[in-house]
Amino acid sequence: MQATDRTRLRTQAVRRVSIVTTASSDTPAKKILMMGGTRFIGVYLARLLVKAGHEVTLFTRGKTPVTQKIASETDQEYAEYSSKVKHIQGDRQDFDGMKSKIASAGFEIVYDINGREAVEVEPIIDAIPSLKQYIYCSSAGVYLKSDLLPHFEVDATDPKSRHKGKLDTEALLQSKGVPWTSIRPVYIYGPLNYNPVEEWFFHRLKAGRPIPIPNSGLQITQLGHVKDLADAFVRVLDNPTAFGQVYNISGAKYVTFAGIARACAKAGGFPTPELVHYNPKDFDFGKKKSFPLRDQHFFTSIEKAKNDLGWSPKYGLVDGLTDSYNLDFGLGTFRKAADFSTDDMILEKLGIKVAVPA
Amino acid sequence: MALSLQFPVSTPRQASLEISKLTPGCLASSFSLRSPSTSSLHSLGTSSGIATAVKKSSRRWRAAKTVAMAAAANEVSNRKVLIVNTNSGGHAVIGFWLAKDLVAAGHEVTVMTVGEESSDKMKKPPFSRFSELRDLGVSTVWGDPKDVGAAVGGKSFHAVLDNNGKDLDAVKPVVDWAKSQGVEQFLFISSAGIYKTSDEPPHVEGDPVKVDAGHVGVEDYISKSAFKFWSSFRPQYMTGSGNNKDCEEWFFDRIVRDKPVPIPSPGIQVTNIAHVSDLSSMITLAIGKPSASNATIFNAVSDHAVTFDGLVRLCARAAAKEAKIVHYDAKALGIDARKAFPFRNMHFYAEPRAAKEKLGWTSSTNLSEALKERYEEYIKIGRDKKDIKFEIDDTILSKVG
Repeated sequence: MQATDRTRLRTQAVRRVSIVTTASSDTPAKKILMMGGTRFIGVYLARLLVKAGHEVTLFTRGKTPVTQKIASETDQEYAEYSSKVKHIQGDRQDFDGMKSKIASAGFEIVYDINGREAVEVEPIIDAIPSLKQYIYCSSAGVYLKSDLLPHFEVDATDPKSRHKGKLDTEALLQSKGVPWTSIRPVYIYGPLNYNPVEEWFFHRLKAGRPIPIPNSGLQITQLGHVKDLADAFVRVLDNPTAFGQVYNISGAKYVTFAGIARACAKAGGFPTPELVHYNPKDFDFGKKKSFPLRDQHFFTSIEKAKNDLGWSPKYGLVDGLTDSYNLDFGLGTFRKAADFSTDDMILEKLGIKVAVPA
Repeated sequence: MALSLQFPVSTPRQASLEISKLTPGCLASSFSLRSPSTSSLHSLGTSSGIATAVKKSSRRWRAAKTVAMAAAANEVSNRKVLIVNTNSGGHAVIGFWLAKDLVAAGHEVTVMTVGEESSDKMKKPPFSRFSELRDLGVSTVWGDPKDVGAAVGGKSFHAVLDNNGKDLDAVKPVVDWAKSQGVEQFLFISSAGIYKTSDEPPHVEGDPVKVDAGHVGVEDYISKSAFKFWSSFRPQYMTGSGNNKDCEEWFFDRIVRDKPVPIPSPGIQVTNIAHVSDLSSMITLAIGKPSASNATIFNAVSDHAVTFDGLVRLCARAAAKEAKIVHYDAKALGIDARKAFPFRNMHFYAEPRAAKEKLGWTSSTNLSEALKERYEEYIKIGRDKKDIKFEIDDTILSKVG
């Protein structure tokens, strides 16, 4: 087995087995500060927290509207939510400014959905000395690549990863003595996703184009629905079992790259797509990404969260992608316009013609 | 009784599981003296004066710990267990390890091997080491599954495990005999090979299976035979001392002779290689917890996937050598991958979720360690000096160029 940071994590991890805890209805109302909350994860999480009776304040720059009605809610539900959720406008990179805005507001819990570097997190903790819990959205991208999978929370992390800031933040949280919980999602999907995961496939399926898959398409990854992620975030709230713990949160099953293409087709009612395999090394795509997912196996075990939090994903892959399609792409909305330039490079080199719809 | 034991575990959380609650008897029965490996042992004194001698970091230790801790909640003890064991193949080793784990857990064990004691097959491991079982008090008999009664004499059993048949022809007689004898619990070694292929690994219990598969027919028949308790175990590949079938040896054969290792493209196919003690500990728990394990199918596998390329790397590390991987497209080259390579040329990966959820079982497979141990045995028996012909490899390598 790969090297593990057993000593450090053993201290964190030693505890009793399996207590199913805290549906949010059992938690007394808390004053919650959410860093972010207007784009994707927070949109769902803030709604759950408000509905559960907590007082939620979103801290954002205000570039995106603080609240927007989403496709899955009624006007009534939106009115309720938007009237209750609060907002502080500010720039979290302006540490002193931010501190003055959030100190003395009596926040008990912080949900940090968009924090990247440890330096951004420290001022928040310093500004709220009576903080009861810091809940952080980290990333499974911190795991060191391994020949043995899935990644478990005790596995080695990669100090050189692109997500180093997340790792540093987890270490900072541990060192500050505040109760903290870190959530490591894999690939998140669902309506309003701003990372073009399912959207990338939907664009091609809608255009009736073949789907270019790097190499064999046997690479195995894991998609987790944003609503299941939000549920997990709620379950760690004020939950002593979760103090000092990291949790992988994603779907119950993994999926191959080729499998994602087929699942997206099923979700949107498209015919089985033609897959075109190419070797990325044969191309120079410049700064453009020719595929939305990292070209390697990348999946985690979610059993710790299941055991500790009584959480389990409600969405299977096709169900979840169908939900995303019906409430977002299928309604004509998406974040990034279709860009088939890298596809065309690939198809041209492989001598494959695309039938352009009349 | 407080024990200050430090042992590396695959899941540190499990380590905390109230080890201080273990009774002296339970501990003694779990950490019994065993001899498959003669590597250095040291004894651990306990305050109750029970001397146990196991290598602290060994997988046997961890497996025994697993059994001990989960078994703290056993429903039954002192069961009379019959293992009907195949006389060859990849599953043969399961009965060998299981017999030992069951004895350690306080049960009374009979192993009935199919065929005759005098058969040539009995010269191969694990059969060649059955004296180790007898030394532990296991009764070893030989016979025909069509007449189990004759082989076991008048003995009665609480639990019967069929680790022999792949279809109803072979297993039905054993099931029917067990039923007629009032056996309470029937267990079956099935196969994870019966799962239908899927875009969404892993294979988990409850996933669709190939309805025509022999093992499926057997599972079905057992489930309908009105035993008080029944379970089925679906293994993949196993490594471990006493193995009857090559597993990692295929890799060692090439690595130790500095031959390139031909791997069907792309090399990222995943499989699951468990140390056999994962299976023996799982089945032992199921026998100790018949209600918890009843009417349940268990994937009898480790909880990690390894890629083909990854396995080459791990084997190379075990041998302290470099390995050269050569990928080849079996189809394009007209190579039958089933003959050329020891594992199914596809993702074939099941996870042991039911065992974890229902039995409190944890995996103790540490593939790196297991391969190192197996490499030591490989050298010890002189297999590195054996003259092996690599005909298919040579064909592949010449075609790849």
